[in-house]
This record gives sequence, structure tokens and C-alpha cells, in this order.
Amino acid sequence: MEAKPEEKAEFEEAEIEYVSYGGEHHLPLIMNLVDQELSEPYSIFTYRYFVYLWPQLSFLAFHKGKCVGTVVCKMGEHRNTIRGYIAMLVVIKPYRGRGIATELVTRSIRMMMESGCEECEYEFHPSNSFQLSLFIYADAHVFVHIVNRFFTILKLVVTLEAEVTNKGALALYGRLGFIRAKRLFHYYLNGVDAFRLKLLFPPPRQVL
Amino acid sequence: MADKPVYEEASIDGQPPKLASIPASDTTVWADASPLLQAACAGLRDGELIHGDNFNLFAAMSALEIMDPKMDSGIVCTYYSIDEAIENGAAPIPISLDSTIDAAWHKGHSLAQTVFSCIYLLRLDRTAPHALLHSYCRIIRATCKAVVSVVSDARTHEEEDLFTMTYGLPLNGDGDDKCLSILNAVEETISRQLRACKATSSKRRLPEDLEPLQSKPNLEEGFCKALLCRLRFRKHFFHVLSCMKRPQGRGLESARKHIASCLTELESILKSADFLRSCFDESCEGDIDDKTTASGFEPIGFDAMLNSRLSAPTPPRAIKILSWKKAVEYFVKLLHDLDVICSYSLDPHLESLLRFVVQFQKSQPDLVARSYLQGVTHPNMERFTHQAVFLHQEDILNHVNIVEQLLLVQDGKLYGRDPFFAVINKAAALPEATKNHDIQKNESFLQLGMVIANFLNSNGVGNSSLPNKLVMNLLKILCTNAAWQRRKLGKFLQDWRVIYVQLELAFRNEYGEVSSSSNDENTCMKIFQHILLWVEEQTYWIAFRFLILGFELELYSTGEYCMVYWYLYAVLIKLSEKTHLMMAVSHDTAKRKGKKKKDSPKDLARESRIPPAVLFLQCYICLAEGLTMMLAALRNEIPVFHSPSPFNTEHEKFVQHFELLQRACIPDHVSYPSYKESTTHARLSTLAMYNYFKDAQRIAKEVKSSFSNDPERLAELRKLEQVAEHNSVAQNVICRLGALDPSLKVSFEFSHHPFFATVVVKRS
Repeated sequence: MEAKPEEKAEFEEAEIEYVSYGGEHHLPLIMNLVDQELSEPYSIFTYRYFVYLWPQLSFLAFHKGKCVGTVVCKMGEHRNTIRGYIAMLVVIKPYRGRGIATELVTRSIRMMMESGCEECEYEFHPSNSFQLSLFIYADAHVFVHIVNRFFTILKLVVTLEAEVTNKGALALYGRLGFIRAKRLFHYYLNGVDAFRLKLLFPPPRQVL
Repeated sequence: MADKPVYEEASIDGQPPKLASIPASDTTVWADASPLLQAACAGLRDGELIHGDNFNLFAAMSALEIMDPKMDSGIVCTYYSIDEAIENGAAPIPISLDSTIDAAWHKGHSLAQTVFSCIYLLRLDRTAPHALLHSYCRIIRATCKAVVSVVSDARTHEEEDLFTMTYGLPLNGDGDDKCLSILNAVEETISRQLRACKATSSKRRLPEDLEPLQSKPNLEEGFCKALLCRLRFRKHFFHVLSCMKRPQGRGLESARKHIASCLTELESILKSADFLRSCFDESCEGDIDDKTTASGFEPIGFDAMLNSRLSAPTPPRAIKILSWKKAVEYFVKLLHDLDVICSYSLDPHLESLLRFVVQFQKSQPDLVARSYLQGVTHPNMERFTHQAVFLHQEDILNHVNIVEQLLLVQDGKLYGRDPFFAVINKAAALPEATKNHDIQKNESFLQLGMVIANFLNSNGVGNSSLPNKLVMNLLKILCTNAAWQRRKLGKFLQDWRVIYVQLELAFRNEYGEVSSSSNDENTCMKIFQHILLWVEEQTYWIAFRFLILGFELELYSTGEYCMVYWYLYAVLIKLSEKTHLMMAVSHDTAKRKGKKKKDSPKDLARESRIPPAVLFLQCYICLAEGLTMMLAALRNEIPVFHSPSPFNTEHEKFVQHFELLQRACIPDHVSYPSYKESTTHARLSTLAMYNYFKDAQRIAKEVKSSFSNDPERLAELRKLEQVAEHNSVAQNVICRLGALDPSLKVSFEFSHHPFFATVVVKRS
């Protein structure tokens, strides 16, 4: 929902400071924001699961020392696809509509792309002496495995779910190139349907 | 097992589960873990947790925080057990009853938080001394059970599994089969009471053996009436459900009668509301439309939070109990939906059955209605597939049988209303065979049987053939909710493609590329070709449905409309082509089947005409093409319509939206480059050269007369005509002003048709 004009905070975009998750002192800030603004309940375990395993993918937005927004993400590889997942995205009402959420998500996605590409290079780069040695000395089985890995182009996809009624979020992700891949019937505890949104990246340049 | 901890089931009366004693065994021994825990606690500071590698997202999400109101289902109860609630007088007996809480359950909330929030239902035995309350509760419970069983059997509730979860609630009561007789007895008593009221209204006295329902004699008649219509509604509703469950649609006729009675009783229930409200001197606060009872008073004996702990360990779900008025409306809609199902003619023609199901879904029936739809259509499908060729392994192996059954029906007539062909459509309607009564002895046909048998065997088909299974699955998928349906249809396309490829391969292996001169072999080949054609037609029909469901589910954004309409256009072209071919084959068959007449010039003229069903599809094609080209021109010339995203391009969106179609090669040779090629050169200036919408409008107008007996398609054509007319005008405006006038705003609305957008042009 759009905030009423009188609730809007006065600030310059440059005053907003974005920081990557920095440790346990950030956790209560994230939890407070999410608990206030999102309908789904998350236990402390869920927060820790994300921020401990992927601290580099979580960001907080501050305005004059006050935390006004946050994004929490994860990523992993499954079936030749690097999958990023945006678990939570919150900007408090008075600060909405000024691009803070877009900036938070963009930062996370860029981090995902960077780590995704690093992974690609590590996996595929023939100058990697470990892999080269395997190429030369490996037995048939390992060789086939390596060749398969070598020729499989890893895809990078970022997904998330959003309430079908959350027009603001849908527009934001639409601008970033997400498509609505699926509709999930009564997905949330409040009975609202969700869209599963997906962002597919162009195939990475093959390093040969 | 002895070494497994045994817990007594947590009982719903709120007692904590008791740990049964577990004896130590050879491999296990009891030990005190307190020192270990204390040591662990000492090693941790406040806020620290131990993380195990196997503690994944699922485990984290499944964890609940005690006393967090968003998570802990247990903390927000008024009462912690049913007994406590009863002791506090939450459910006095006797009581006047008035509840339509099952409507909220049907709408997707859990049984525990809706119907079984009624304390009387949880402790049905308590109501035994009060015949009226007891009979009402019993029939409610029996109705719930019937609905749960139909929904579970239909398995159309994959995403709505909450519906059938009974959480150990007392749904199975002894003697509920007698609920109707108990109800009838109560109904009889109240009818007598009502008659007595009327007879004695001047004396204001009741006969001795009848106890008044409440304390004010002048209100007695109204109360009797209000109660009677409620009891009768419940009775007829229960009858509707039982009749609809009878095998082979035998109870549908009587179900319709009960539906009519239900609707009459619902009207009386609505009328009784004024009386019930007037009975109470004090007016109740708030809008009567929001109340959950007809009288407007708080319902007695309900506590929605009472069972919330039963649904643990999931967090509490927000539930919305329908207002009394909404609940009555819900039942009216449900009954109408059920009536539509009951009035279906059970036409064994697959095409009409599929069309019926799709049409039925347009009214957005809820899970209960959809389950009954499947309950009625699915066994019916079984009925005609049971007699079909491929059901038994021994038949498959016995190819003589196959050929006999493939080509003949029970009464010796060929291709009359053969059940198999009803399912595999007109696929094998072949003229040559109709004339050949010795067909089953013919060698080529034996061979054909072998090919099919081999094909089926190679697919590991045991009890039922793959095509049959595909058709049955298709029907099942079409009965599910739109979101689930689309996902399933997308994956399902792959299966249809695979069967096509395999059939084609089997056919090629057997007959080679070129037909031989033998007449019989030609016939076999035709049968095969028709089957292939039929499979293709179905495949494109499914693809079409997959695409248009995306509009219903709002999966496409305006920026993607161009590629979606382009793909829709490509699929429709194929669908109309296959449909046309199928119709030509059937027409050919029908003509040869009839007595050979001299072809009159009139017949020839008719033959060359495009069949109305194909013209209908061509109208779709024109609209899809028109929208594609208009959207492409706008995108190419007006910057607002071309907004690149920072991370990917249109190509990636195309890949994602049509991945499932592309993977199944539907249609062949359709790809992103071909999309680009056909849309890059679209310009507003070239748009003016051809107006596809005018074509669509003309076809819609022309073809209407062919469907004068088909109100559903007639209505669709009218909508198409409207869209075409609007868009034709809009296109002219855009062409004239578009590039020149930057203040021109173009938007797309679905005001006339669910998936063909109406183009709206405004000046800002």
C-alpha cells in the first residue's frame, strides 16, 4: 500500500546509506523491520539461516542512523542452475517510492551475479591447474564428469514470491526484468495468492 | 516397535500428551542428560545457538517461537479445552441454531477453524436430549464427511489440501447414517407444531404434547417456519450430495430436484431473517450484512480459536468467516454450479465434454463443485474407456481382439457411438473399414493391431492405454483450480508430445515412409494418421489453454503482451490447421458412410467452404495477429513501450514464458529469432496498410449464424466482435496520431474479453 503524503519522510536520496550485513548487531534491526511489515512470521532460526550463510547477500538501508529498509537473500546451485532467492525485502512506509527497495535488491542481485560468475570460472576455467591435471591424468569416469561440467552452461536465475495484491512490489520487480512465472493458490497464511517471480540472466560468456 | 518412544495421541480435550514408559532394550539404555545440557548451557552466551549442518531452511521455517502471536497457535485461545468452554457456559443446551459456517470451510479455511469451531459438534453426545439441536448437528457432521470424501476422491485439491485435513476431529460419528431419519422425525414434530400454531392462533394455546420452541407464544409460528426451512435445506442438501455420488450419473435427475428444493428453502431462510431480527426488541449494533447470523446476534456455542492448537505446528492462519448473507449467497452459487453439472447430458463425445468442463470453469466454481464435476465426468470416462481396446493386458497381446474391438462396437455397428472413438475422438473413423465386414480377418489390420500392441507394451502400459490415460489426466487437470491447472498443463504437454513422437516412430517402422499400393495397408495407414492428427490437435488445444490461462492468472505484464499474442497466434494457426484436417477427415467419412449420392454442385460448394469451427479459430487468429502487430509497432516506435531492464532482455523473458512449449517443440520451428523476425519491422505506418481487426470483425459477424443453436459460442463471438470493433478504431487513431502526438496514452484492458485485450487510446 502506498503511504499517505503526510507520512512521507523528507530526505535526499544521497542521505541513504547502504551497508552489507555486518554481524549480530544488525539482526534485531532486520527482524524488527520484517516483523512489522511482512505478513508471514519468521523464527529467529530463519533469519540466522540466511544472514549467517549468505551475509554478503543481505543489505540494510540507513537514514541518519535509522534502519529504514532491508533485503535478505540466499543462493545455491541446483541442476546446472545457480539459483538466487530473495527471501525478504522491506522498506518502511514513509521511505517508500524513492528507489530504496530497488537499490537494495539491485545490490543483492549484483552480488549474486559476481559470486555466480566466480563459481563459473572456478568450475570451468581450464587454466585452473587442478582441473587441467584432472584432464590429463583422470580416469575415464572423472574425465567424462569434467567434460560434462565443462560444456554445461550454468544458468543464473533469481526467484522470489510476492503477494498478488502487492502492486508496488510487482511493479518494482517487473522493472528489474522479473516475469510472473507461476501463481500459487492461497500461498500465504493470510489466504492471499502469490506470484512466483523469476529473473533469468543471459547465459554467461563461456570461458574457453 | 519397542525401542521407539511411544506417545499417546494428543487428545483434543487439551490434556498434555502422556509419555508411556519405554523399557530399555539391548541397544538402548536410559541415561540422565541433565549434566550434558547444563555443560552446553554454560558454554553458550546469551543469544547464541548451536547450528547443525542438517539444519536447513525447511527446518528453520518449521521452527515455531513459543508465545509469538504470529506463530504460536496456542496462546490466543479463550478456552484451553472444550470442557472448560462448556463449563463456562459457552454452549448452553437447549439453544436455537443458526449457522452457515461450512461456507467458510468450503472457501478454503480449515475444518477445525470453521465447522468444528462449533462446540456442539465437538461434543455431539451432549446434544442428545435436545432432538432438534442433535439432529441438526448430526446432519452437519454427515454432510461434512460426504464433502470431504468427494473432494479426497476427486484429488482436485492438490493445493487446497487444507480442505480435507480433519486433524483428528470427531468427523466419524456412529449412527450418522441415520441422521436423515432423526431429522425427518424432528421436521415432522415442528410441522405439527406449526400446524397447531396456525389452528390455535385464536386461542394462543398449544396442544398438551407439544412443547413450545420458545417462550413467547405470538412468535411461535415464525420460529417454527424459520427452523423448518433450515432443517429442510440441510436435508435436501444432504440428498443432493448423496444423489450426485451414485454411479454412472444415475442420481443426477433426482439431485436436480433436491437442488431446486434447496434453493426454495434458501429463499425462505432469507425471508426469515426479517422475522428473526424483529423478534429482539433491542436492535443490534453494526451493519446487519456483516453479521454471521440471520438475527444479527452473536452466534452461541462457537469459538473459532478453540481448535487452533490442533493445527499446530503450523502458525495460525487468519480466517474469515463469511457473513450470514454471504454464506447464503455462497450456497446459492454452489447449488447452481452443481445444477450445471447435473444437467450435463453425459455426451460421450470428448470434444463436447472438454468444452463443457472449460465452460464450467469460467464461472469460477469452488473446490467442492469442481470435485463433483470430476466425480461425475471421470467415472463416466471410465465407463466408456472400460470397454475400449487397451484395457487388459491379455487383449493387448491378443491382437485379433484388438482389431475387432478397435474397429467394431458392441451392437455390430461400425463407428456409431463407439466408446473408444468417443475418447480417441474421430481418430479412426475410416470409410473403407465401414464397408468391410470381414475386416477382423484382414491381415493388414492384424498387423496394425500388432503395431499398436507393441507400442503400448513398449511404453510399459499395463492396465490402461497411454492415450486413455492422457485423456483421463487431461480431464482431471481441467477440473483443478486455474493456478494449478496451468502448471500441470504445461508439464503435461511434454507427455502428449512424447506419445506423438513414439506413435509416429512405431508407424514409420511398420509402414515405412511411402505407402504401398495395397488398399488395406492404406486403410491402416489412414487410421494411424488420424490418430496422429488427433493427438496433435489435442496437443495444440492444451497449448492454447496453457497460454490463455496466463491471462486469467495475470501472469503477463503489458510489456510481454506482444510476445504472448505472437505465440498464441502461432499455436492457433496450428490448432486451426489440425482442426480443419480432422473435420475434413470426418466429413469425408460421413459422406462415404451415407448412401452414395451423385455429388451435386451444391455439395461441392459446401465442401469448399471452411467449417464454422475453423472460422471461429480464424477469428481468434486475426485478433492475436492484430494485437501482436500493433504492440510490436508501438514498441518499435514509442519509447514508453520499450523499457529495457537492467539485468536481462526480452529474449530471457521469452525463454521463461514459453520454456515448456519450446521444450515440447510446440509448434515446431517457433523460436525467439522467429518472433523477432516477424515483429522487428512493424511500424505504425505499415500498420495502417492492413487491419486484422476488421477481418476478425467480419468473420465473427459471418460465423454467428452457424452457431445459432450454441448460446455459449454465440456469446463468445459477440465478445470477439466487440473487441475487434474497438481495436479497429483504436488502430486507426494510433496510426494517424501515434508517432506525432507524444501525449497519446495507449493502455490495454480486458473489459470485453478475458484474453483479447481491448486497446484504449487516451490523450493525457
